[in-house]
Amino acid sequence: MTRISFLLLFLVSISLNAQNNAIGFGEKLTYTASYNMSGILTDLAEVTMETSAVKTSKTTLLRLKCKATTYSKWDNFFKIRDLYESYVNPKTLKPYLYNRDINEGGYYKNMKYTFSHKTKTVKTVQRKKSNWVQKKTVPIGADTKDIISTLYTIRTFDLTNLSSGTSKDFTILFDREEIKAKVTYLGKETISTALGTKTCYKISLGSTNSNTVNGTLWLTADENKIPVYGKFKIPVGTGELKIKSASGLKN
Amino acid sequence: MKKLFTILALIASIFAIIFSVLPLSNLAIIPAIGALVFGIIAFYLSKKEGSVKKIIQFTFILTFIALAITTYKSIFTKTEVTNTDAIEAIEDKLEAESMQELEDLDIEIDESELEDIPFDE
Repeated sequence: MTRISFLLLFLVSISLNAQNNAIGFGEKLTYTASYNMSGILTDLAEVTMETSAVKTSKTTLLRLKCKATTYSKWDNFFKIRDLYESYVNPKTLKPYLYNRDINEGGYYKNMKYTFSHKTKTVKTVQRKKSNWVQKKTVPIGADTKDIISTLYTIRTFDLTNLSSGTSKDFTILFDREEIKAKVTYLGKETISTALGTKTCYKISLGSTNSNTVNGTLWLTADENKIPVYGKFKIPVGTGELKIKSASGLKN
Repeated sequence: MKKLFTILALIASIFAIIFSVLPLSNLAIIPAIGALVFGIIAFYLSKKEGSVKKIIQFTFILTFIALAITTYKSIFTKTEVTNTDAIEAIEDKLEAESMQELEDLDIEIDESELEDIPFDE
């Protein structure tokens, strides 16, 4: 009986500590975000997702950086310059530091999270225009991550033998509040992308509480599991994210 | 009936013009098609009665202008990102700040775990 319980404990600990075999250093993915209304596409912004190695005196971390910039035709109407970055453990993608610097149509906000996994707290610093600063420490759960490391964590899961409908819950710290999110595996699908025709894992992203689906993501069905296409619900029409180029892939 | 279609055509053509000058110019096609359909119906209804009002022709002109602007923009406007100096400056600033912060943090990573990760530097 003890042996069985040890074996179970071992299996549980393996599944909990999903290891990163998909994301390496120096990966760069570029996307076009567009608005789709009745099949008419309007390009809005360029989104880039980059990873790089950050060496401190003690260790090496993985820097995950996401950037959204509106195309020049939009800049005079609604200029967006958003930057999200997270410094994480290269193996487990556990975040240590998170920065969010958004500039959307004149609205500016900067948020910094410093994770302390020992005390299960996050020190937050929020800055807005005219040097407005607010500091706050918030308690978090054991598996709480920021939004960027959660996005990358989804890629580390082994989806090969999953049956469609299997879901996993996440806790995301956003705007200093813990949000429960759910990722559901929907099966395999072949779609054509800028990188060629790809067989993809189709997953849906939604909130745990309301059971609503906010978005669908297609990840390539290979070792890299790069997101090649995304569809997101917005009040009128749909938002789309299409891959433009990918470089520096790990596998 | 004739009046209703004339008004609908006029409203749709105004929307088409507004959309065509905005960065959302592709969307002008939807009201432009509406304006053409309503305009044609209004045109035939008025023709039946004998007199075609100038306002209907005016909606056609507006719609064609809107379609011309949309076509021109879709062919000649480049989708490119410019003006990224500010965000690049923020990137550098945040990286410098973060490096300082990370040095001060107590990060426990088992270095042996990282050995099999190739570094591209």
